[in-house]
Amino acid sequence: MRSLIKKGIATAVMTTSLAFGAQAASLKVAYDADPVSLDPHEQLSGATLQMSHLVFDPLIRWNKDHSFEPRLAEKWQRVDDRKVRFHLRKGIKFHSGNPLTAKDVKWTFERLKSSPDFKAVFEPFTYIEVLDDHTFLLVTKEAYPLTLNAATYLFPMDSVYYSGKDEKGQPKDQLKKHGNTFASRNPSGTGPYTVSYRQQGVKVEFRRNENYWDKESKGNVDMITLTPIKENPTRVAALLSGDVDFIFPVPPTDHSRIERNTATDLVTLPGTRIIQLQLNQNRVEAFKDKRVRQAVAYAINNEAIVKRIMRGFATAAGQQGPEGYDGYVEDLAPRYDLKKARQLMKEAGYEKGFRISMIAPNNRYINDEKIAQAVAGMLAKINIKVDLKTMPKAQYWPEFDKRVADIQMIGWHSDTEDSANFTEYLAACPDEETGRGQYNSGGYCNPKVDKLLADANKETNLLLRTKLLQEVEEILYEDAAFIPLHWQNLAWGAKKEVNIADVVNVMNFPYLGDLVIEE
Amino acid sequence: MLLFLARRLIQGLLVMLVISFISFAIQDNLGDPLREMVGQSVSEAERQQLRDELGLNDPFLVQYGRFMAKAVQGDLGTSYFFKEPALDVILGKLPATLELVFGATLLIIVLSIPAGVYCAIHPQSWFSKAILGWSILGISIPVFLTAILLIYVFSIELGWLPSYGRGEVDLIFGSWESGFFNKDGLLHLVLPCISLASIMLPLFIRLIRSEMVEALHTEYVKFAKAKGLKLTRIYYLHALKNTMLPVITVGGVQIGTMVAYTILTESVFQWPGMGFMFLEAVNRVDAPLIVAYLIVVGAIFVIVNTLVDLIYGLINPTVRLAGKSA
Amino acid sequence: MSKATGSLLEIRSLCIEFPSRHGVATAVSNVSFSVEKGEIVGLVGESGAGKSTIGNAVIDLLSPPGRVASGDVLLEGENIANLHGEAIRRIRGRRIGFIFQDPMTSLNPLLTIETQLVETILATLGGTREEALNKSLELMKSVGIPEPELRLKQYPHQFSGGMRQRVVIAIALAGDPELIIADEPTTALDVSIQDQILELIRTLCRERQVGCILVTHDMGVIANVTDRVAVMYKGNLVEMGSTQQILERPQHEYTRSLISAVPRTDVKLKRFPRVEYIEQVQSRSIDVKNHWLGQQDESFAAEHKAENGILLKVDDVNLRFQTQSAFLEKNRRYVKASDHVSFEVREGETFGLVGESGSGKSTIARIIAGLYQPDSGSINYAGTDLTRLSDKQRIPFRRQIQMVFQNPYSSLNPRMSVHDIIAEPIRFHSLARPGRETDGIVADLLDHVGLGAASGVKFPHEFSGGQRQRISIARALATRPRFLICDEPTSALDVSVQAQILNLLKDLQDELGLTMMFISHDLPVIRQMCDRVGVMRYGKLVEVNETETLYASPQHEYTRELLSLMPHLDNLSREGLETEPEREVALA
Repeated sequence: MRSLIKKGIATAVMTTSLAFGAQAASLKVAYDADPVSLDPHEQLSGATLQMSHLVFDPLIRWNKDHSFEPRLAEKWQRVDDRKVRFHLRKGIKFHSGNPLTAKDVKWTFERLKSSPDFKAVFEPFTYIEVLDDHTFLLVTKEAYPLTLNAATYLFPMDSVYYSGKDEKGQPKDQLKKHGNTFASRNPSGTGPYTVSYRQQGVKVEFRRNENYWDKESKGNVDMITLTPIKENPTRVAALLSGDVDFIFPVPPTDHSRIERNTATDLVTLPGTRIIQLQLNQNRVEAFKDKRVRQAVAYAINNEAIVKRIMRGFATAAGQQGPEGYDGYVEDLAPRYDLKKARQLMKEAGYEKGFRISMIAPNNRYINDEKIAQAVAGMLAKINIKVDLKTMPKAQYWPEFDKRVADIQMIGWHSDTEDSANFTEYLAACPDEETGRGQYNSGGYCNPKVDKLLADANKETNLLLRTKLLQEVEEILYEDAAFIPLHWQNLAWGAKKEVNIADVVNVMNFPYLGDLVIEE
Repeated sequence: MLLFLARRLIQGLLVMLVISFISFAIQDNLGDPLREMVGQSVSEAERQQLRDELGLNDPFLVQYGRFMAKAVQGDLGTSYFFKEPALDVILGKLPATLELVFGATLLIIVLSIPAGVYCAIHPQSWFSKAILGWSILGISIPVFLTAILLIYVFSIELGWLPSYGRGEVDLIFGSWESGFFNKDGLLHLVLPCISLASIMLPLFIRLIRSEMVEALHTEYVKFAKAKGLKLTRIYYLHALKNTMLPVITVGGVQIGTMVAYTILTESVFQWPGMGFMFLEAVNRVDAPLIVAYLIVVGAIFVIVNTLVDLIYGLINPTVRLAGKSA
Repeated sequence: MSKATGSLLEIRSLCIEFPSRHGVATAVSNVSFSVEKGEIVGLVGESGAGKSTIGNAVIDLLSPPGRVASGDVLLEGENIANLHGEAIRRIRGRRIGFIFQDPMTSLNPLLTIETQLVETILATLGGTREEALNKSLELMKSVGIPEPELRLKQYPHQFSGGMRQRVVIAIALAGDPELIIADEPTTALDVSIQDQILELIRTLCRERQVGCILVTHDMGVIANVTDRVAVMYKGNLVEMGSTQQILERPQHEYTRSLISAVPRTDVKLKRFPRVEYIEQVQSRSIDVKNHWLGQQDESFAAEHKAENGILLKVDDVNLRFQTQSAFLEKNRRYVKASDHVSFEVREGETFGLVGESGSGKSTIARIIAGLYQPDSGSINYAGTDLTRLSDKQRIPFRRQIQMVFQNPYSSLNPRMSVHDIIAEPIRFHSLARPGRETDGIVADLLDHVGLGAASGVKFPHEFSGGQRQRISIARALATRPRFLICDEPTSALDVSVQAQILNLLKDLQDELGLTMMFISHDLPVIRQMCDRVGVMRYGKLVEVNETETLYASPQHEYTRELLSLMPHLDNLSREGLETEPEREVALA
């Protein structure tokens, strides 16, 4: 099996003359899921974004240091509070051969606005103004600081290719969930790869786009085979046996095994997904008392959970956004102090404690069930007795939405890679109309936080904005609005010769176009 | 014969009707399919709208009625995830599962008959005792563990066999993707087939052994000895043929059950069959696919049972299937 | 040919042992006899006597751990006693043919007759398939099977019992053996067939000059075909002589009592002579008249009186079973198990039903007991039509009518203790207070049927066949029935045990005033047991009459045929009968 790669290299060299000089190689990837659709707008999920980065290209993309790297847009300037001007690279062609122009970007933007999944990200934007074939303005309703963040979601689609009707008489640009649309089967982007074969849930094969514009990329992978492998042990075994070259995720239990193995490497990055508990103030009177909420925060030993349950594969959290995000405040550390917790309970008049219910999923986050059990045990020490119920994610979310329990677990990753997004969905006063606080099952509501959030969302001066967001984190910390547990880390495993460390990132869409496999 | 088949057909339809009703009735408890379909920032109002579009907010009987109306035309609904008719999805996955079951069955037959017969003929030998001891152990080891163990030994440590998937497949009969006709496909079949067989093999060995022991104690075996026949003929014709009768009935049904057991094996080996698909469908709350799967498995059970009865009738001359003229 | 070396088969001082953890059981000790060409030697005795063991030992078919401990088996002078494996296989079939008791089980149900015959010929004589096939046809003809070409292609289940036994004989003869060992070859067959098969064996042995050892427990069989008889008792050969001599002038005590125990067809005796030589039944008799057993439910009895002395009236009862199901009525086939059957049973009498297997006797019994519902007709018991009662209304009648089944092995629940088996109906019908009263009654019943109260704690499998039938009888009596149906109660039992059971039934009838219906295919037994007899054939009752009248002057042709087939042991010694003392009543 191990010789397969070499064989692949040999045949590639013989049969294709590649534009770039490095040795061409093929890569077998095993993720836990494959993309639901080849339509980049159908579902906002990790698998879709991973696919988008292979088949399409964004205007700009994140660097490892949380800065932006020009892609299809070679440069940009903020014109004013509401407008940013982008300049497209010239001479770029879609897989279909059609040239990329600003019209395609506008077309894509409008399609995104109609996508149920993506429209939230583009909600602050009103329109794109095409200046010429390679220049356009991205315009927001109000002053908006996160235009560039949103631009990482803008993967221009081939508007000409997606025009007209397919053989079923449906418009080719039709965007429909589980619709078996033209776009869900036939992608045309500018990306480094084209899809050469796809059997949903079984295998996707990507082939190098020979006319790819980025000639500077050192990437030498001409063929990618993506297989979804659901079971953790099987995925790890596939890497260890050499059947695949690159896997994600690697369960914490197998980290040392992959590290020890002389043929494989483990790459980990601190993650950005916060796991937190929400205390429902509408169901439990005691949770309306700040002191009780703080007592819960003091009673829970985040570090112990990270160490013992997550085996160090997480970063204990005291706030929503991880380090590197705008609102991050270094002082807001986890606060485990049992004595203080008991004292707070006493002050609040709940020395004798009370009984509450709690729910958590058991197959959504890493070790979610074990974490919930540990929390229940920790709360018992301040006389809060927890009736814990865990369930598969499919059943969990409807229960979560119904707010059936007094404490509910949720994990959140900011789609905009920005602190404000956490507050918007998890800590803002719940408001059905605006969709704010949609996942705030605790019912925490502090008008001051909402005000700061609104200001931050308009503040295009990033320094000022950071101050606002930091103040939000501080208030939430003081109020113990929720109980942050940790940020889940990310771990990839790969063969030694596959230099994944260079291309992986915290958003978990590895830039495989730039991947180098050594001989 | 025709009457027999007609009766079975009606029974089968009834079974599937009941299955469809039950699976339809429980689908509300499987979870919310929307959650797996949309991103996290999609608002509740939009989700409601999608639910309406999917008809998920209609009363149960309305949904079931709609389902039945389509089902009688052979349309069991459209999978949310695959976006194709659920039946097509399942039929597309069926070859992988059937080949797995076929391979496992072959393995069971090839191993269990000699082992069972040997244990019956040589009850005192240490080898028999080893086989029977192992079979007790084998029954109690969960298939998941067996599979992981096999992967560890044969894929990781020895590197002889691939650890997951089906490998290369060839198209036969136009649309059937088969892994039986090339080396890579066959190599990929080995571990999953062993894992799947490991559930049933001990059972079959014990069954064949006990039936064979019984057959060896019959008068006709004694008479066959008195006739002066060679032992090999007595064992492998007289006794074995009679041993196979109960084995076929029990075994046939068990092999039908194995289709259901593939769920575990397939998920460990990332085998692209319908068992794995079912597990995924449950995770994704792909209700139409779940319902269709249950109906198809019900149909397979009925078909297998019918086949078993037909084969039994062929081997056992004293059985005349109802309706067959004497 | 001299006696010492010229015999076809000579068995000398044969000892057969079954070693086990608890010691060595000797099944056959020091047995010697010989068989000449063309001679049929009967080996007679009751179960456990060791007669079959000898037959099996000759061709090394003892079931493990049995072994020949000492002695010689000389086949034309060659000692084959300790041959095993391939050596003995060459003798099996080729030189010694074997016929087993039950033709239903000795043929492989899944192979055609042709396969089973041809494989035997190929294994013993060799040659080509073609030759073997021709020889098969020849054999089929010689054992009297019509249309042999067609029949060869068929499977055993398509043959009747008698025809199957013919096939078995054909197979036994397939290797042209010099000796045939026939182990109870007719026991499982109907009377009318028995005769034909015995005749066939006799003729074939004479024609082919084949020696034969005929193992049987049936004195009738011995009388009909054997030249010489060896009597076995508990592993020993107690007596050997010509058939005539043994039957007429038995020397050994055991032989005498064995012969006397054979139900007589010539005279009706008050009691069955028992094989007293072996019997030591220990029992405590109880005074039935004053016992719980003798007390009937007065109110129920008063309400349901026998009309004109007739307790049970079966009137025009019909019942058919579907033998082939089909969608269309016209394609379905039925067998008439009961075809316009009518008869009466008088209170206190024993009414016999006789007929061959499949004649419908058991069906009638089951209809009366309420196990089958007839298609039409009525069963009138003391003025009540049982067929019109609901299950609930029927319960008191179920208590009144009890049944003893043929097979004492399958009719007792193996998981219940004997005490519980007998107490169950008492509890169900609330006939006695639970606890001490019920326990006392059960103990008395066990004593009364000769098992002893102490046996209540045991389980059915710890008992012999005869003892189990006693348990069945005790269970039937536990409801204090008025009407007892006995369906072939002794046909699975040895002749000596049969006598005990039949005597027990007779005694009980006398003591309790029971009315009995007695079903059997055994004409001598019927004659001894019954006051009146009905003869059944193909679901029809062909004749009903007083027993003596029926045996003396049968009216129906079929009755005459049946009676003519009855084995006649006219020259039987009457010695045993005369020595039968009057006080020997087991349970008086």
